[in-house]
Amino acid sequence: MDMEKDMKLNELDNIGNSLEQDRAWAESLLNKQNLSQFNLSKTDAPFNYFESFPDQLMKRIESEKKQKINKKSPKIFFLPSFMQPLNRVAIAAAFIIVVGGSFIFLNNSVWKKTHAPIVAKYISLEELSSEEIESYVDANEWIAEIDVHTQMKKENSRLSSLDEKQIEEIEKTINK
Amino acid sequence: MASDQELIIQFQESINREANFTALLKKHQQKVYYQIKRMVTDHADADDIAQLVWIKIWDKLDGFKMESEFSTWLFRIAYNETLNYLQKQKKQRTIPSNSDLLDYENTTAGSDSPKSTEIQIGLDRAISQLPEKQKVVFMLRYYDGFDYEKIASIVGTTIGGAKANYHQAVKKVESFIKQL
Repeated sequence: MDMEKDMKLNELDNIGNSLEQDRAWAESLLNKQNLSQFNLSKTDAPFNYFESFPDQLMKRIESEKKQKINKKSPKIFFLPSFMQPLNRVAIAAAFIIVVGGSFIFLNNSVWKKTHAPIVAKYISLEELSSEEIESYVDANEWIAEIDVHTQMKKENSRLSSLDEKQIEEIEKTINK
Repeated sequence: MASDQELIIQFQESINREANFTALLKKHQQKVYYQIKRMVTDHADADDIAQLVWIKIWDKLDGFKMESEFSTWLFRIAYNETLNYLQKQKKQRTIPSNSDLLDYENTTAGSDSPKSTEIQIGLDRAISQLPEKQKVVFMLRYYDGFDYEKIASIVGTTIGGAKANYHQAVKKVESFIKQL
């Protein structure tokens, strides 16, 4: 064991003295011919590889450079503002609201002016069931509310335009 | 022919950058490729890594301060890139694939006796099984004739460490072949 250790130490001491010595030591153990054969198998390259490599590499460097530049400052194309997706959606939504809203509003007011009196003429309240009346009231409650509000506003404006004398007269008639 | 230093200075001063870089590349490309190929075996992998190495050189050459030789720096980058590549690909083949051995047999068959071919295949296997550092140290010393100081800075070890790696590599290969 000690002899083996000493041999190893001696070998290690001899390594690095010269390149020739290192090579000779490896060849004595591994066979020079085999070592050179091994190198041949590892140092082959396809035909013309080294001639074409610089051009290939420069092309790759060039394309990577371009990619980097593109990443750093992406080109921004501005669409006309009405063509931008968000604006288009907003415009479409506004259009639908305006058209739809006015259609509903007009329909309601037209119905009230034209059809409602005719219906009232031919259909008496007694003929209607209480469910039908309820559903009608539910559906038209908001219109009735609007009507009440507008009526109240009208009355308020009329009261504010009265002078003190007129107000006193009205109070007298109410008291009577 | 201009020295590495002259080419680098001109590159850094933006004088014919591409031409100077190409001159550097042509000077060193074969050795870099061979160093990589000895570690990965496959040409496509070696080509890919070689391109990555030279792209890195192109990117970093402006900051190279000439504190070490250009070739030492270049081989260190090649060594590190190859290790990274092997780790990423998880292709680190300690034993050559059957197709590699078949190729190897085809290249060596007919030239020597069957016993000799067997030893060559064994040598191939044995060297492939070495740890990457020992393998590279052995290759750089035996085949490229680099001094230990340069080898040590390429693989990131001390001069003593590089010598020990060379010694261990040869001994391991020898004992592997003896077992055949």
